[in-house]
Amino acid sequence: MPFSSFPMIPAALQSELQRIEENTRTLLRVSTSRATVAQTPKEVIWSLNKARLYRYIPVVSAEQRHKVPLLLVFALMNRPYILDLRPGHSFIEYMVKQGYDVYLLDWGAPGPEDKELKFDDYVLDYLPRALRKLKTVSGSEEFSMLGWCIGAILTTISAALRPNNGLKNLMLLTAPLDFTDKKAGGFVRWVNDHSFDPEKIINTFGNVPGELIDYGAKALKPVENYIGSYLTLWDNLDDPRIVQSWHAMNTWVTDLIPMAGATYRQLIQELYRENRLIQGKLIIRGERVDLSRIRANLLNVIALADHISPPCQSESIMTKVSSQDQLLLKVKGGHIGMMAGSGAMKYTWPHIDSWLAARSD
Amino acid sequence: MSEQLETITPLDPFDTLNTIRDTSLKTLNIMRDASLKSWSKLMIDLVSSEAYSQATSRWLDTYLTVSQPFQRMLDITMTQTLMRLNMPMRSDVTSLAERLTNVEMRLDDLDAKLDDIHRAIQALAASKPAADPSAKEAH
Repeated sequence: MPFSSFPMIPAALQSELQRIEENTRTLLRVSTSRATVAQTPKEVIWSLNKARLYRYIPVVSAEQRHKVPLLLVFALMNRPYILDLRPGHSFIEYMVKQGYDVYLLDWGAPGPEDKELKFDDYVLDYLPRALRKLKTVSGSEEFSMLGWCIGAILTTISAALRPNNGLKNLMLLTAPLDFTDKKAGGFVRWVNDHSFDPEKIINTFGNVPGELIDYGAKALKPVENYIGSYLTLWDNLDDPRIVQSWHAMNTWVTDLIPMAGATYRQLIQELYRENRLIQGKLIIRGERVDLSRIRANLLNVIALADHISPPCQSESIMTKVSSQDQLLLKVKGGHIGMMAGSGAMKYTWPHIDSWLAARSD
Repeated sequence: MSEQLETITPLDPFDTLNTIRDTSLKTLNIMRDASLKSWSKLMIDLVSSEAYSQATSRWLDTYLTVSQPFQRMLDITMTQTLMRLNMPMRSDVTSLAERLTNVEMRLDDLDAKLDDIHRAIQALAASKPAADPSAKEAH
């Protein structure tokens, strides 16, 4: 029953009670429901096992569109719709409007049958097949590839192993590639502790549960993730714009997926602990990953406040590749905020667009 | 703040209360944010420390050591139950899914070959009018 039906309650108190009631409703709604995300129109053009390749419906005419299509490759342990969070705040929507033919490779959530999937499979089975389809659909032999986080590891390995597959532009975002500094960031410290046994995790669960990975990521900044985020919502319950943004981000953050056990083993053992990729010692299905074979134009974007992949893990690749055209771009923000935060539209996306536009025709 | 106080209607207790509430909330928020900031810094230093890494790893190791036998027991019991009920076990479903993926890969290979054939036909069709003498005569 609305408070206005009680005439004995003074108007000021009534409006105050109403405000509290509305805020409580909003709080309940956003914390218990899923926001509508990934709304940019798209079609599935290829699928294999859990992986899907989406093509976003162009909004710019074919003549005005950039000739080189763009493939987005996100991490394995999160949903890729962070790149298309909500209308008006979507990197994909932005790039489609800038005239790119945009494709997104969604790895999907691995099931128990996928626990033996390794980087080898993703790079040499899934990615080349998706690229073949992309080339057929776009009609272009050349393409640009953007890898974010673990997606950047996959795209780097692919670029090094298959440098002649038509890759023209390689963009790496917050790429964890160099683990020389064993004290840089919480993750490196945790996984290098001698009591930490990835084998035990895999033996127990098969695939590494999303909750475990999520705990690891959140525990790096516990106050911000477990308290700060909710306080921000509480303080801004009256502002529908902020509530909507928080709701969409919370939907993504709580949408957890596991990571294939064998991939996790490789990530921890061969990359985080033995640092094989940057040293040129990583072997993928019998082939050595030699970073000097990368010749594509390279844009390496680093987030200055990245606590998951600290800048030192991403910078050194610049000296390892043979790319003549390369740029290291340092932007404001954290690991996710850099691309999905409120400042991304101002500090990150235009830089990526201007760099890529000059190399996409 | 002084502006706010000036606009208070002294005879309206709710207006006064609201102003007092807003002012105290603002002060509380400033204090809260300041303490959260220092707390956050402290926690980040803590989780990045050697001691925390060791403690977390040991806790995880203990948890996994304790839970593994239960997990195994559960798996065995489930397998036996499903066998008795004459129902497919997890391993059956897993191998079926693996086979489906292999079939999908074969289909993808066929799709690639079809694309190649399609492209070859298109190239042939494009080159044919130029090579066809009757087409030239017609022009």
